Amino acid sequence: MAIKDPVQEGLKAGWQHIDASQLKQHQAFEADVVIVGTGAGGGVAAEVLTQAGHSVIMVEAGALKSSKDFVMEERKAYPELYQQAAAMKTQDKAISIFQGRAVGGSTTINWTTSIRTPEPTLDYWASEHDVRGLSADEMLPWFEKMEQRLNIHEWQYEPNRNNLALRQGCSALGWDYTVIKRNVSGCWNLGYCGMGCPVNAKQSMLVTTIPEALAGGATLVSQAKAFKVEYQHEQVQAIKAVALDESQSKTGIELTFKAKHFILAAGAIHTPSLMMRSKLPDPHQLLGKRTFLHPSVLSGAIFKDPIYGHSGAPQSIYSDQFVWPDNPQQLGYKLEVPPIHPMLIASKTMGYGQSHAQLMSDFNQLQVTIALIRDGFSPESLGGQVQLTDNGSALNYPLTPSFWDAARRAYMSMAELQFAAGAKRVLPIHEGMPYLKSWQQAKTEIPQMDLAPLKTVVASAHVMGGCPMSEDVNKGLVSSQGRSHYIENLSVMDGSVFPTSLGANPQLTIYGMTARNATLLAEQLGN
Amino acid sequence: MKRRTFLISTFTGTAALALGTNLYLSDDLPFEDSHQNHHMIFSVLIPVFLAGALPKVPNLREESIQRTLVAIQDSIKVLPVHQAAELQELLGLLESRLGLLFLTGSMTPLMLRTHAQLINMLESWRFHFTELMMIAYQGLRELIMASYYSCPEHWGGLNYAKPNFLET
Repeated sequence: MAIKDPVQEGLKAGWQHIDASQLKQHQAFEADVVIVGTGAGGGVAAEVLTQAGHSVIMVEAGALKSSKDFVMEERKAYPELYQQAAAMKTQDKAISIFQGRAVGGSTTINWTTSIRTPEPTLDYWASEHDVRGLSADEMLPWFEKMEQRLNIHEWQYEPNRNNLALRQGCSALGWDYTVIKRNVSGCWNLGYCGMGCPVNAKQSMLVTTIPEALAGGATLVSQAKAFKVEYQHEQVQAIKAVALDESQSKTGIELTFKAKHFILAAGAIHTPSLMMRSKLPDPHQLLGKRTFLHPSVLSGAIFKDPIYGHSGAPQSIYSDQFVWPDNPQQLGYKLEVPPIHPMLIASKTMGYGQSHAQLMSDFNQLQVTIALIRDGFSPESLGGQVQLTDNGSALNYPLTPSFWDAARRAYMSMAELQFAAGAKRVLPIHEGMPYLKSWQQAKTEIPQMDLAPLKTVVASAHVMGGCPMSEDVNKGLVSSQGRSHYIENLSVMDGSVFPTSLGANPQLTIYGMTARNATLLAEQLGN
Repeated sequence: MKRRTFLISTFTGTAALALGTNLYLSDDLPFEDSHQNHHMIFSVLIPVFLAGALPKVPNLREESIQRTLVAIQDSIKVLPVHQAAELQELLGLLESRLGLLFLTGSMTPLMLRTHAQLINMLESWRFHFTELMMIAYQGLRELIMASYYSCPEHWGGLNYAKPNFLET
């Protein structure tokens, strides 16, 4: 069946797209605004600024792919669409990190969950981090605007059985749950969002804002990795980039981008590392610090009836029952489910040989619940730190006692929920942990688990912070509008400006904040 | 410490401590064939990691192992440079007598060990008190598991198949 492919159609229609891997000579580019990164921040900024009449260049390290490339196979998707082929980890290898690397950034490969920034998070930013203008009331029109733009609506269909188990468990226990809003249009309910939407139903940046910007005259330079911000006298003079080939190796070709204004939107590891490598002003030593992950722990459960966790919308239900605990010293956690595909589930579960083969033979009976731990809201939860290395950058993220306390409570909650939903056996994904056959057994065994880095599987798909916003220069590198406190013509518009994690999946927060900040910037540039 | 050298420096540090001398791995001549993408090591480890998952019929089993070996090489090709370098260091150690001694307490080549001995080796790494040994175990485990289950040929037992509407 032929699928309408807006990227291919746009290229045929004459989009200004330069695949840097094909360039044979060094090249210079110039526009009103240069944007580094094309994810949730870069994509929205490109559309807003183009529509405001500014010339825009988008610079992206990943390749331009389209639905014809999204063949629903992990072995193709991970190397082509994910940072480090989906094998990225923190420095001590204790946390796996999944981040997109393609035109569209992580929006190309995320699971479409679209949640407004929780009000307590916005309140906390205002009270503790001197963020201004981002209250729930002030953000409301921006969320509404982006929800309309990206067709974000509550999922109208029955959840798949993986999500259904989450709902059933919550219902049985009287816990809070919410039907998820998704950025999809004409979704086929396939379950392969994480490998790139093969039918262009997901309203990612790849098929929405970026095409709109390109149709409006913007230029996209793909496979060009920004490596240096050159600045002088509080002004960025240029951004330098290197061309990358298909295997992400440098081709030797260098690109120079000049503009009136520059926006960094490369995500919450690459934006801080680019700024660090460029030695941008950081008098209060904030850059790269307070990087947050929503570090997540997993609990598997075997059901009698098939779950088919690979099929259907990956996320349609979440529970905030435990996100905001009464004790403010405790870290809260959000309950969701992930899609279940063979390569990831085989490699991110525990054990080998017969026990692992048995787990995989129960593949279609396997339900998985995840608990995303809301980091950054207490003095003990400082997150991680981005550090420069010979090969680029690395994230050092210590897992603290407060994290392990939350992880243990989360394992308890997940086991209780899964048994309440009808699970026959529950398996906390932790080295050496046996199947738990009852909630009673879980209550005995889980408190005894020797939770520790490498023994406990911890994963993250939400990287935030590292270049915080605040009106107080002691706390932030950029203002609440994303403007640098030190460099006149530099903004940051991605998740790196978050002063803490969110307690919610981040894409809609980035969309809304960027829509606001890019609109304000467009007005300021116009003046 | 630079990531690229962490395995070498840690293992050579351990070796120097044990033997009272400095060791240079390049002087420790490999006794096994390391020219074929470490196929020997993986050929030995795949049946252990994937026991119960591999087909029981001998020729199908061998076919599946060979397919996994190819998939492993494909996986290694797309690993980030630093991870690939660390993996090569680990594999290099497993191909050298001294490396084997330090990692497993025995110089016996992996291919001469029984299935039970190989399980003991993996279990000792899996639950080792040092992070380094756990990382070595997890690195090999993730690589082999991900590579095996990346192949559509190996999905039969899972009753998993991608939708085929694109092919119609």
